[in-house]
Amino acid sequence: MFLALIQKQMKILLRSRSELLMLFVMPIILITILSFALGSLMEGNSEMTKVELAIVLHDNEEEQLNEFRKVASETFPINDEMEKQMKQMLPISMLLEQLTKSEEMKEFIHVTELKPNEFENARKSEEFSAIIEVPEHFTVNFLTSIFMEGDQPAFNVYVNESEPITSTVVKNILDFYQQQYTFFTALAKNGFLSDEMTVPTPEIKSEIQTVDTETKINSSIYYTFSMSVMFILFIAGTIAGQSFLEKNMHIFDRILLARIHPLTYLASMIVSTVVIAFIQVAILFAFAYFAFGISLNQWGLTILLTLLLAIVVGGITALLSSINYRSNSANASNIFSNALVSILALLGGSFFNISGLSPVLGKIGMWTPNGAALDGYLKLAQNGSLSDIQHNLMNLAVMAIVLIVCAVLLFPKRGGIA
Amino acid sequence: MIEVVNLTKTFKKVNAVDQVNFYIEPGEIVGLLGPNGAGKSTTIAMLSTLVPPTSGDVLLQQQSVLKNPASLRKVLGVVPQEIALYEELTARENLLFFGNLYKMQKDQLKNRVDTVLQQIGLQHESKKIVKHYSGGMKRRLNIGVAMLHEPDYLIMDEPTVGIDPQSRNHILETVKKLNTESNKAIIYTSHYMEEVEYLCNRIYIMDKGRIIASGTKDEIKAILSSENTILVKLEKHSNDFLSELMSQPLLSNINAKEAEISFTVAKGINYLPTLLTLCEMHHVTLKSYEVKEPTLEDIFLHLTGRALRN
Ligand SMILES: Nc1ncnc2c1ncn2[C@@H]1O[C@H](COP(=O)(O)OP(=O)(O)O)[C@@H](O)[C@H]1O
Ligand SMILES: [Mg+2]
Repeated sequence: MFLALIQKQMKILLRSRSELLMLFVMPIILITILSFALGSLMEGNSEMTKVELAIVLHDNEEEQLNEFRKVASETFPINDEMEKQMKQMLPISMLLEQLTKSEEMKEFIHVTELKPNEFENARKSEEFSAIIEVPEHFTVNFLTSIFMEGDQPAFNVYVNESEPITSTVVKNILDFYQQQYTFFTALAKNGFLSDEMTVPTPEIKSEIQTVDTETKINSSIYYTFSMSVMFILFIAGTIAGQSFLEKNMHIFDRILLARIHPLTYLASMIVSTVVIAFIQVAILFAFAYFAFGISLNQWGLTILLTLLLAIVVGGITALLSSINYRSNSANASNIFSNALVSILALLGGSFFNISGLSPVLGKIGMWTPNGAALDGYLKLAQNGSLSDIQHNLMNLAVMAIVLIVCAVLLFPKRGGIA
Repeated sequence: MIEVVNLTKTFKKVNAVDQVNFYIEPGEIVGLLGPNGAGKSTTIAMLSTLVPPTSGDVLLQQQSVLKNPASLRKVLGVVPQEIALYEELTARENLLFFGNLYKMQKDQLKNRVDTVLQQIGLQHESKKIVKHYSGGMKRRLNIGVAMLHEPDYLIMDEPTVGIDPQSRNHILETVKKLNTESNKAIIYTSHYMEEVEYLCNRIYIMDKGRIIASGTKDEIKAILSSENTILVKLEKHSNDFLSELMSQPLLSNINAKEAEISFTVAKGINYLPTLLTLCEMHHVTLKSYEVKEPTLEDIFLHLTGRALRN
């Protein structure tokens, strides 16, 4: 009977094409792009052509800043603190700095500033891999959206599709930039922005040196783990979403009428998640082995770490389902998949090493399932022992217990109309 | 016997179900008839112990089952108003899954699934994914799942909504056979009076959360026993003739649609001779004269002043 519940979950997943793509194909593509394309570029592979990037500015940023000061000063006084924050948040300076600051970046990106009247020609000439057009009033709109009210403005990005790899790289960098900006906006709105924080450069180094050992980790290892621990989270959203469908379609009523205890049903969801998570991790690690020759050197500990991570994800599935069932909507699982996973991935260091940005955020990251697991995998990849990952295992175990207890308490013990 | 006693459900001050009483004995088909929003599904949900009543009780063999619903759930098969099936699985996979939930033995389950597929007429399409089924096929499978564990009582909530006439007939025949051949007791919920009239021995009519009439078909029809509805067809419409009818003291509820006129007259009065005289007077030709049995529709209209289907 319990087996039937799990079998059913597997069959349904196996027949949902979009979910399969999301859970199994997307991470493989991302690992490939991030570690292959970026990795070889970072390593200075000369076969790669330099990315020619153009940026079209319709306004002068200084003038825009002055304009914003004028508008803003009508609503509130601008003190020194604000002044400092505004200077820190100037979007175009920040982008340019990001694109040209580090040596690694300079090695593969060449930025040309264009005047608005040169834009059309440049677009037609295919001379550039990508053109970023900063629309008029961008800076004013941007600052308004942060310090007052309004939508965040967007760049127009034109990529040259005939250069797939380089344009993908550009897209990735811009995505990263976007992430940073959203993050900083959130910090600024909550008054957390401080002097010490600087915009981090994307983690483009081909070798990440870790603190405690001398073993080096290359980008394919880093991205294999960081994408695996990120995409494992999507399983929770997927299964919880499917389970809400069971309530919505009154299948859950039928399950109750068959005298299956609601908690048995909840347990079946957790176990299904764990099984699917294991399959996903196995596929991704197998891919990494065949594509990049990454082999695991600590089987037992890797499996233990993966098991705990999978149980935490199972706990998330259960909690999301409980909230979905209680609120009689799929909001919880949708918000999780669409927004929370990205935040967890950011905090857990799937995009870059966040503890470099702020040690406090690094500590918080260790309390995300993906962050704790990623750190653990990286330690194991450097021949860490059980005592090295003890802390990670502890955190995961605590998260699993808390999540599952909350889910059990919250899950409704009856069916039918809410 | 299953009984509900003073069953009441209040949603935010709205009485969806209000002091409802009814019972069903083994082997009978009972109809629960009422327009959309009458409270039929809510009643069914409480009866099947999925929703706790605000007040009232559900009894199986005189024992309350609200605290301990397992004994009732065991003998109950519920066909929900919604298609409660896995769209991604085949018919057979759906049946096997729900059968497994009932902890049926493997061989026994396999046989049972074949039998049920036969009964609902899906034996040749059992390997198709439900998503690709027609509405009627889904409805049939929806019923099949509920009868898999051979319950003594089957509750069907609007099992024929939104399907083609052929599937509808198939379902009605299946329900009838389940009762006559397998001796299942069936509660049949519908807002189609002709289905309830065709299938059920005893009928409860529900409106706005209350049972407004109950009894055997004959007992219910006796509500309108004092009058007959008469339908006449003329060769062509005549205003004079209609005015003449309107002025007749014995007739009431006169309705005219072109050359068709209906009215009611007290039972026991043969109105045909008078009518023929009137026809002659106004030079109209009578094409047909029909005394109609009252339908459940007429009774609902009589009791509530509204039509069953809005
Ligand atoms: N969960 C609910 N919350 C609030 N009102 C409800 C709920 N379920 C049903 N109702 C209301 O109760 C009444 C009866 O509904 P229902 O039992 O579905 O009627 P029927 O099945 O006869 O069409 C309707 O007015 C409906 O709007
Ligand atoms: Mg209903």
